[in-house]
Amino acid sequence: MELQMDRYAAQQNPVDFDHHSADHAANWPSAFAELRANNPRPWSERHGGFWIATKFKDIVSIGQRPDFFSAHKDYDPVTGAIAGGISIPAIPGLRGVPNETASPEWDGVRTFINRRFSPRAVEAFRLKAQQFAAALIDDVIETGRFDIVEDFTNPMPALVTMELFGFPLDEWRAFADPFHKIIYTPRDDPEFPNTVRGLDYFRQRVEEVAALRRIEPRDDLLSHFANGSIDGKPLDGETLYNLAFNILAGGVDTTTALTSNTLIHLSRHPEDRERLRSDRALMPLAREEFVRFFSPIHALARNVVEDVEVDGWSFKKGERVLLAYSSANRDPDVFDDPDRVILDRFPNKHIGFGAGMHRCVGSFLARIMFEAMINEVLDRIPDYQVVEEELVVYPTIGNINGWVHIPATFTPGTKVGARIE
Amino acid sequence: MKVRVDDRLCQGHAMCTLACPELFELSDEDGHAFVRQADVPPELAEKIEQAVRGCPEGAIQTY
Ligand code: HEM
Ligand code: SF4
Repeated sequence: MELQMDRYAAQQNPVDFDHHSADHAANWPSAFAELRANNPRPWSERHGGFWIATKFKDIVSIGQRPDFFSAHKDYDPVTGAIAGGISIPAIPGLRGVPNETASPEWDGVRTFINRRFSPRAVEAFRLKAQQFAAALIDDVIETGRFDIVEDFTNPMPALVTMELFGFPLDEWRAFADPFHKIIYTPRDDPEFPNTVRGLDYFRQRVEEVAALRRIEPRDDLLSHFANGSIDGKPLDGETLYNLAFNILAGGVDTTTALTSNTLIHLSRHPEDRERLRSDRALMPLAREEFVRFFSPIHALARNVVEDVEVDGWSFKKGERVLLAYSSANRDPDVFDDPDRVILDRFPNKHIGFGAGMHRCVGSFLARIMFEAMINEVLDRIPDYQVVEEELVVYPTIGNINGWVHIPATFTPGTKVGARIE
Repeated sequence: MKVRVDDRLCQGHAMCTLACPELFELSDEDGHAFVRQADVPPELAEKIEQAVRGCPEGAIQTY
């Protein structure tokens, strides 16, 4: 009882907030603007109760103190009991490695994978990324119509990820679809348990292909996982799966969401489209601006492991806090005119890839995939137009700010003969 | 003026290399930044200033 009292005494700034609601999906920029201005450190009673960090400065401070704000998740495969982790509410059935680990486990895992994702290492995927983008446009270019998500921005990162892991390319759909759906299916949807079960096939294939790579290693990520060791020990089956899961989940739908949102923006803003089309040197700055503006990873959680105060904000052990990266990226204390896309905005210290030690390991690969897709569209179907009445946004953007369908039309063109191989 | 990157704070956002590729470079080991030389030539001072303001982690210091 005393614990309860204590807990409620701390939560002085109540707000009725649910990042998974339809209302939030429709109005998040103004909802966060209102909170940042009037109640920047609110507490929501939803999903078991959690703080919401809406200011850039608070989010970076929390991200940089992992000893107090942990992403660690305890998951018991036998009982199904879950504690901690980065999702509010928790996703059952798995644990992201390294995203849902803490030091010292995290250090070992990141040391094991960092090299594979360095700017130089991922440069090896640029040509493949361009080839896949060209092949996907080949598939639709004679028709004059496509669904940007289904035909382009969903398959393309999935194919690159298949290549990265060393899976047969033709399996991409079986892998990407459950990850895409698990992100946007609301937890109370009757389909949700089925969607989670869709991951079983991924697990099975990870185990099968890792077993093959133990016998005959190649230069791919699964060989690295199957034959490598973390802190001197070979990876056990659970770790190997959780790591593969995190890399697939971290890379696929995020890059899809970023590129989808960007293509909608460029369709709605012909002046930006023309500027980027005619001046590709603008791409790196524009790319960072789109990451800032759309913040594909909308918000993620941390778990308070010890009572702590951050700049006058008191947290109690056991509480959860949602880091609204999307809100930080529109914070007027940091960004001038934050609700406008400024293609050459610079400096641009967005935290769309996170802040602190869990900051995205795949950002250099994401940047390559994004550029390959946008360049392909600007080169080959530069007059594409999204069909506004047929757009379907994710029912929940609480995890990822993305789209289910973006139908678009364009002047048909000719194939270049690129193939997915 | 001199510049350095605090490796305890740097997380590899690569805003510094966008601002001033002349002085910053990213490691092949972990994607974190290091400076090729600490001394900042006067013609790069403004770019370094942008890098300081652009680093989300506050990892770049001039001294
Ligand atoms: C535009 C695309 C992407 C965005 C916006 C994005 C965003 C993020 C964010 C915000 C985090 C921090 C998570 C946290 O704070 O708990 C993160 C972590 C991570 N991302 Fe990405 N990501 C993208 C692409 C990728 C790609 C392509 C990969 C891999 C192929 C990837 C793999 C990961 C992994 C493994 C982590 C966990 C790192 C750790 O815990 O140390 N991401 N990402
Ligand atoms: S911008 Fe800051 S955190 Fe990012 S690589 Fe440069 S110094 Fe490191």
